Amino acid sequence: MSKYNSKYLEDKLKQELEAKYVNVVDESDGCGGKFSVIIVSEAFKGKTLLQKHRLVNTTLAEELKEIHAFSQKSYTPEEWEKVQQQQQQ
Amino acid sequence: MPVLSVSNAEEYQNLINADKTTAALFAADWAEQCAQVKDVLEELSKLLGDKLQFISLNAEQFPEISMKHQIEAVPTVIFFAKGSAVDRVDGVDVAAISSKSKKLAESASSAAATGQSLDDRLKALVNTAPLMIFMKGDRNAPRCGFSKQLIAIVNDTSLPYETFDILSDEEVRQGLKTYSDWPTYPQVYVKGELIGGLDIIKELLANKELETTLKG
Repeated sequence: MSKYNSKYLEDKLKQELEAKYVNVVDESDGCGGKFSVIIVSEAFKGKTLLQKHRLVNTTLAEELKEIHAFSQKSYTPEEWEKVQQQQQQ
Repeated sequence: MPVLSVSNAEEYQNLINADKTTAALFAADWAEQCAQVKDVLEELSKLLGDKLQFISLNAEQFPEISMKHQIEAVPTVIFFAKGSAVDRVDGVDVAAISSKSKKLAESASSAAATGQSLDDRLKALVNTAPLMIFMKGDRNAPRCGFSKQLIAIVNDTSLPYETFDILSDEEVRQGLKTYSDWPTYPQVYVKGELIGGLDIIKELLANKELETTLKG
């Protein structure tokens, strides 16, 4: 059990990382312990994969103490466009 | 040094927060097995008293503390290092109580003897092999879905690697999170540098950069 839900995480990521797009999927059947997140933000520009993930981990440091399983995909707007193109192909 | 009987919460807090690692027995007068475990702790304190301190408290007199540590049965022994619970033994498992006490005493003395701090130990650990994975369980029996997926991906590269089971060492489990500023497991290291967790490995795989990255 954690006290967090998708909406809360989405709002926080949008606000703190000025994310253009955030998609949070609660994979825990609502108990709030397992989330999968896509984040698109300018804040990731020029950062390595590790740095991007670290930025998100730091933003959600408090929350991650309670969320048991968290997986993220973090893209810059340019990378996100490419990913979407690939998915359409 | 005999086993100290704790009579109030303040004394308890001071004891478990001490520099010395503490083994705390949660007991009840009516349970005979508690006396048995207390005898074991008395014996252990003769052997290990310079490295560990042993205390005993009546679980029912301290309901809040017992609740906090989810004491469901007496006797239960919890080991504390500087205030945080690092290990526990539920029930009368004398062998486990002895071996865990000895292990904690050993790590306390090796740290003192070599002056090796936790940081030094972690640094050595992440450099154990060129490709090093910190996970729950081991490669043959991963004990978490993320660790399992990660092992499957790394096995596919056929690169040699070593693993460390963080469930076997609470000090490493907590310490490495701070050391590497990374809150979750599994963690993958190449030549001592953190590469990332499962998400990053998956992304490297998708970008066809995984093998190059893992070779370092």
